[in-house]
Amino acid sequence: MARPKKAARAKAPAPGKRPPGVCVPWEEKEKEFPPMTGDQELVRRVWQDVDGLAYMYIWHCVLSF
Amino acid sequence: MAKDMEKLYAERFKRYVTAMRNEKPDRVPIRPFVAEFVATYAGYTCQQVTQDYEMAFAATRKCAADFDWDAVVPNMVYGWSGLTQAIGLKYYAVPGVDLSVNTGFQYKEPSEEDAFMKVDEYDALIADPTGFLFNVWLPRVSTDVRAPGEPNTFRNNLSFLKGGMAMLQYFMAFGTQVARLRQESGTVSAIAGMFKSPLDILADKLRGYINLCWDLMERPKKVRAACEALAPHLTHLAVTSADPTKNLPLGFWMHRTCTPFITREHFENIHWPTLKPMLQEVWKHGNQVLFYAEGKWGPHLARFAELPEGSIVFHCDRDDIFEVHRILGHKFCISGGVPNGLLSFGKPHEVRECCKKIIDGVARDGGYIMDSSAIVQNDAKIENMRAMTDATREYGVY
Repeated sequence: MARPKKAARAKAPAPGKRPPGVCVPWEEKEKEFPPMTGDQELVRRVWQDVDGLAYMYIWHCVLSF
Repeated sequence: MAKDMEKLYAERFKRYVTAMRNEKPDRVPIRPFVAEFVATYAGYTCQQVTQDYEMAFAATRKCAADFDWDAVVPNMVYGWSGLTQAIGLKYYAVPGVDLSVNTGFQYKEPSEEDAFMKVDEYDALIADPTGFLFNVWLPRVSTDVRAPGEPNTFRNNLSFLKGGMAMLQYFMAFGTQVARLRQESGTVSAIAGMFKSPLDILADKLRGYINLCWDLMERPKKVRAACEALAPHLTHLAVTSADPTKNLPLGFWMHRTCTPFITREHFENIHWPTLKPMLQEVWKHGNQVLFYAEGKWGPHLARFAELPEGSIVFHCDRDDIFEVHRILGHKFCISGGVPNGLLSFGKPHEVRECCKKIIDGVARDGGYIMDSSAIVQNDAKIENMRAMTDATREYGVY
């Protein structure tokens, strides 16, 4: 059985710094999970994709509406 | 029929994109930014096309089917009030609610005392723009959203839920609208994606124009820092909303960052240095930006001429289009120039003469797209829009 893939730990953004495309950084959310039994990279990717929807929401409120 | 429409679409697409590349297509493309005009033509009120985007879509499709236009914006009455009401946004005046049923929707500036961003909040915005928007700005501009620390409410939760779902529904509906324009009338979608400058965001949505003027005089370094903080986010939005095929340009709504709304010094020291890198980044991704240059931008055309060749399409409103062509035409496609006042109050033969003069003066080497100077609202006469279309088809053949 293949070992679950572990995502490389990215450097957390500086306090107060939230880069484009991010509302709740993965580095913050990751700490809330128990040790993962499966594909951590998959969880990270989907978290960031959905988090990006919230980012899109607030920025389109100010940009488009 | 479907094959004919696909053939027509292909012709129009090629014509439109060729002109935007500043080359010579088979004839001058027509790409009117028709807003509430579509309501007039299709028999709707402004209230109807603003409150129900499906009515706006249907009205746009009817115009596209009946006029020989190469491209249109899928919905130029883009401020869907169903969404803004779901969020509870305070800065909209809506036809049929705040305005008469036949007045186009308006933005309401905050009063100087009641700005959506206070003068001592520049540092908070700069440190975390996204956090500031969620935690400070949105609670101020919405009747329903509560700031962190305030007691939560049912209406607060619903504002986020309904706002998010409504935005998703609306954005997804554009996909169907673009496809129907193509399939039903062979019409190209004029733009894809959204771009605004940081200084315009500060003026329009955060400080208000008058407060920003004070800030430019009294704390220009803060204003510049705020623009620099906003720029990566606005660039990210532009790049991620842009046409992945790199054919259609991003719409850049240029509001009040020209002289004399701001001084030449502020344009040179704050606006242009923070805007230019954004435009260069978008071009690096292969996407053009359509400068929808409302107002007069003559003093700044030389700066725009610094941009990479072909990276923008310059839409002319109140500038002298012949002067714009002289300064920018060797590098960029030009569009616009038919005054909205002429379309509203003139006679068809006057519109025809204007179109012919523009075509003769600006379009002979290609790189020109026929359009009105600014968005066409419900005061434009149908016969004048026909005259603009027919004149371009008659005179604008290469």
